[in-house]
Amino acid sequence: MPALPLDEAGKYVAGAYVVFVVLLVVYVAIMATKLQRIERELRELAGSAEQAKGSQGGGAGPGGSGRSRAEPGSPVADAPSEQPPVDETKPSSGPGHDLTPPGPDDGRADHVEGVPRV
Amino acid sequence: MYGKGLRTLSIATAAALAVSLTLVFFYAPLDADQGFVQKIFYLHVPLSIMALVGFVLGGVFAVLHLRSGEGRWDAHSYVSIHISVIFGVAVLITGSIWAKASWGHWWVWDEPTLVSFLIVFLMYATYYPFRYAIEDRARQARYASVFAILAGAFVPLNFIAVRMAQSLVHPRVFATADGGLPGSMMLTFLVSLLAMGLLWMTLVRLELTAKSASGQLKRLRRALDAPPRGEAPRIAPEVS
Amino acid sequence: MTPARLAFAAILGKDLRTELRTLQSLPAMALFAVTTFVIFRFGLDRTSLSGSLGAGVIWATLLFAAILGINRLFVAERADGGFDAIRLAPIDRTALFAAKAAALLVYLLALELVVVPVFAVFFLDSAAALPPLAAALLLADLGLAATGTLISSMAVNSRARDLLVPLVLLPLAVPLSIAATGALEPLLAVGGPGYHRFGTWLAVLALYDLVFLLVGYAVFDFLLED
Repeated sequence: MPALPLDEAGKYVAGAYVVFVVLLVVYVAIMATKLQRIERELRELAGSAEQAKGSQGGGAGPGGSGRSRAEPGSPVADAPSEQPPVDETKPSSGPGHDLTPPGPDDGRADHVEGVPRV
Repeated sequence: MYGKGLRTLSIATAAALAVSLTLVFFYAPLDADQGFVQKIFYLHVPLSIMALVGFVLGGVFAVLHLRSGEGRWDAHSYVSIHISVIFGVAVLITGSIWAKASWGHWWVWDEPTLVSFLIVFLMYATYYPFRYAIEDRARQARYASVFAILAGAFVPLNFIAVRMAQSLVHPRVFATADGGLPGSMMLTFLVSLLAMGLLWMTLVRLELTAKSASGQLKRLRRALDAPPRGEAPRIAPEVS
Repeated sequence: MTPARLAFAAILGKDLRTELRTLQSLPAMALFAVTTFVIFRFGLDRTSLSGSLGAGVIWATLLFAAILGINRLFVAERADGGFDAIRLAPIDRTALFAAKAAALLVYLLALELVVVPVFAVFFLDSAAALPPLAAALLLADLGLAATGTLISSMAVNSRARDLLVPLVLLPLAVPLSIAATGALEPLLAVGGPGYHRFGTWLAVLALYDLVFLLVGYAVFDFLLED
């Protein structure tokens, strides 16, 4: 089996490693998109929960049918408002994990594990 | 819960990959037979080993899921198979490139390991349409576990059958990959294998964390009585 | 007889009687196979087949015809509440697996009883190869029965029922196919049946059968859970 000259062989070796890297990058990009979406939803939820809490405290007491599940004292209603507001800018570390979201107003939580367990 | 240690794992993976790349290109000697092209071996073979290990682990997690009924084992099984299928794509493409460089053809039926791997890949690729065709979530998880177990039993049988089907005339192309590796090549190979193993674990962890976060989000949304999002209900396995 | 064996006999009997009475699967499978032979005759542009070509044509045709039958294996159970009946009955649910796999085996053997002589008439010069061929096919059918029953029982509860069986079963059947055609190929050699590695291939077939019968026996209970 004659060995290919270096310039020719180099193309194939480079091709193989490029394929590997591209697959990895595509995977990371997909995960980043997923995490972005989760973050966005978390923010929305936090916002709506705070709103609900605000209206509940200010409005009629037991009349809130839709809010009865998110009673005060439930960790669920409280926790999202404990999350730091959107100016958290600690970048996620992790090599190759570029989770920089394109949106200008996005803050970034460090780890999604910060979501409280219910 | 899944995200714990993810950062350490990623850093370790990146380090291992960097070290292995250095060894591959600056330390491992040139192969007498195939020359520079042989370097693909350090990428292709560890990927394939991890993919197969991942498939087997998918079966193991499936057994755990059926025996315990706990949803998290199903998630582990799904993610193991998922990442291994992705690795499988890389294995087939790098294998094809290696075949082209060695034999001049993008695909060779002579190489039993590559052919076996193709069949295993095709088998596990059916996991997704199979899984998503079952609507009831609990049943979906159970059936998927059965599939993972069937497929796990299938892997060794497949390798045996394909190897036996090889005409004994054709020489093994990648004989250099097996015994007789000089020490420096073996070291490089082992480091590469370690790096791919860590990569596999990191990606599995990452995927599980994302799923877990999604699951928690759903629970939050339900508990807060928040209006559901307009998108179609996802049927991928849930983790909470 | 133990309850499990009683259940086994009852289900098997019910299936075979139903098929005999309604003849919904077997004639279709047989016709499909014979027509496929005609397509192969023109597709390959051959009027006689031997060796690997013959083995491939007969096995591929049988496999695809079998899928037609496998698709329909659990349809009655699903439509008429057979699954619920098994769940409620105080018997080992694996009896359903054994009975259905046995029924499928019978269908496959019945199919071959018709199709293999037709194949010999169409494409072979002599019938000398038929007895060892039947033996090899019997072992292969056993593996197909085990895996087919398992996949069919899952597919029947899904949305894309007819699609899932071919999709999942075919890769699963690859080692089976390799071994079956491996055994068949020397049998159909031009000079007369040869037995090169015949024993080895039969051993592989037997191994495949054993593995999937055992796995099926172990997991079938979980398939029936509600």
